[in-house]
Amino acid sequence: MTIHILNGFVYGGLLYILSVGLVLIFGLRRVVNFAHGGLFMVGAYVGYAVALHAGFFTGLAAAIAVLAAIGILLDIGVFRPLQRHDPLLTVLVTFGILLILEDLVRSIWGKDYVTVSVPALLSGNVEFLGLQYPVYRLMVIALALVTMAGLTLWLKRSAIGLHVRASSVDAVTTAMQGVNTDRVSATVVGIGAALAGMSGVVAGPLLTLSPSMGSYILVDCFIVVVVGGLGSFTGAFLAAMAIGQIHNFGIVYLPWAASSIPFLIMIGVLIWRPQGLAGGAST
Amino acid sequence: MSVQAATSLPAPAARPAAIAFGIALAAAVVGIVLPLLVASPVTLSLATQGLTNAILATSVGFLIRQSGFVSFGHATFFGMGAYVTGLLLKHTGLALEAILPLAIALPAALAFVVGLVVVRVSGVAFSMLTLAVAQVFYEIVVKWRDFAGGDDGLSVTLPPRVFGLPTTLFQEPGDMFRIVWVTLVVILFLLFLLARSRFGRLCFAIKDNEERARFIGYRTLMPRALVFAISAAIGSIGGVLFVLYNGFVSPDVLHWTMSGSALVMAIIGGAEFLIGPAIGAVVFLAAKDKLGDITEHWQAIIGFTLILVTVRWPHGLVGTIWHWIRRRGRGGRA
Repeated sequence: MTIHILNGFVYGGLLYILSVGLVLIFGLRRVVNFAHGGLFMVGAYVGYAVALHAGFFTGLAAAIAVLAAIGILLDIGVFRPLQRHDPLLTVLVTFGILLILEDLVRSIWGKDYVTVSVPALLSGNVEFLGLQYPVYRLMVIALALVTMAGLTLWLKRSAIGLHVRASSVDAVTTAMQGVNTDRVSATVVGIGAALAGMSGVVAGPLLTLSPSMGSYILVDCFIVVVVGGLGSFTGAFLAAMAIGQIHNFGIVYLPWAASSIPFLIMIGVLIWRPQGLAGGAST
Repeated sequence: MSVQAATSLPAPAARPAAIAFGIALAAAVVGIVLPLLVASPVTLSLATQGLTNAILATSVGFLIRQSGFVSFGHATFFGMGAYVTGLLLKHTGLALEAILPLAIALPAALAFVVGLVVVRVSGVAFSMLTLAVAQVFYEIVVKWRDFAGGDDGLSVTLPPRVFGLPTTLFQEPGDMFRIVWVTLVVILFLLFLLARSRFGRLCFAIKDNEERARFIGYRTLMPRALVFAISAAIGSIGGVLFVLYNGFVSPDVLHWTMSGSALVMAIIGGAEFLIGPAIGAVVFLAAKDKLGDITEHWQAIIGFTLILVTVRWPHGLVGTIWHWIRRRGRGGRA
């Protein structure tokens, strides 16, 4: 029982790190980034390629750096020029980017599944809550908690965090107060993409890598973001953890319905509380 | 202004309808003759597949045009049309004559009920909601191995005759090409009439400003759900023709990437125009076939085209050509 709950938190943690990037980008640019799954996938492959030569942690750092750069380019090259257009247009463009990223990765690394092994430093099991549990999985949960704590501190305590929160509420007014919203946005999309890359690398030893891994997990992310409330950071955390649990218990106890339940929850939430469970709180 | 336009519209309205009928009739004749001129059965077969996709793209485009809703889940209705046909043939003793209308009516009815709920949200939320609903159906079919064949798909054996015609017609590329073509032409003509009808104009008014339409005194929920249902019915017609032609259906046609492709076709062709999505579908699949031979980077090309079209030519292929002709025409007169 405990092991299922822990596994649920592992998947939930992974979903949180990925989804919170989506939430950050939505908050600033009002865009649902379909390319986010692609960024996750690129992150996983960059991490894998670098890890082959320089070890897992260098791979992690490299993926975060590369994805942060891609994110900034994405904001400057795509989101900024399109900000006055219909948000749906940007959605279609990000869908196009997803297709291109998948093709790119497929032509570099092939379409076969790739597996990544757990780094030696984090391999093996440890005694936790009375059972033997893999160290790596515990570290994923810890990473999610650290990410949440770090983001919360950054958003609540730093000047740029204040600007981010202000821009999420009303970008025009924030700009009128003298905040360079374009720079804020580039930072935020960069961080969102970097988080996607980080979750991709971290997911490597847990999932198998394939060019389509991004479009699969993207749909789960949408569920998290919608259930938590578009633009709500706390909501994303709670929703990710809940979806992680449901996903895991579903696989164990209701295998035939496991993959439908999260969708049904999303549909229910969109109908009864379109602003999301934590929506409106805007934190 | 709108009152003026509304009272003076009916009189000249008959003419365009007659012209459209003429065009539709001519298009139908062209489609019936066309297979005689194409020798290669492979090309005909591809064209037939392309046309079933054109029907799906038309349904997605119609929804955008008539109500402004961008669906990321229309593969559901296409797939349902195919699966209802296949499952009823396999598990019940119903005659194909009864199954065909059911395979269109059931998805439409479902879409109406779903529509009453989903059209309450708009914009990106609607897209994500349709995506979620569609994925539920995908997962159900994949999981339901005994009944729907799961991942392996479902083979469909047709009875020898339907409506007094041999069903071998459906699997012969030339004849099926004619059937699908004429179906598409009829759908487009009916949609043309619908857009010009009172109901169609009410839908445009709601699309423009839902609140205003409501304050004028119109009910806005029902028309939007109805448009969603009509669009689903069209999508399911595509699915029915697809399964009749292939004799096989797999969950791939229900996956959200299929909905994505249909949307891409509609956008590339130009969703503001009735015929845009169908043209988009044909161009999309012709390009896929041609480019598939030359390069493996088909998907990147689609992605790039999608970005280019949405950013540079938001009116799509048909729209861009239309505006170009109009600009030239005006230049000539001046």
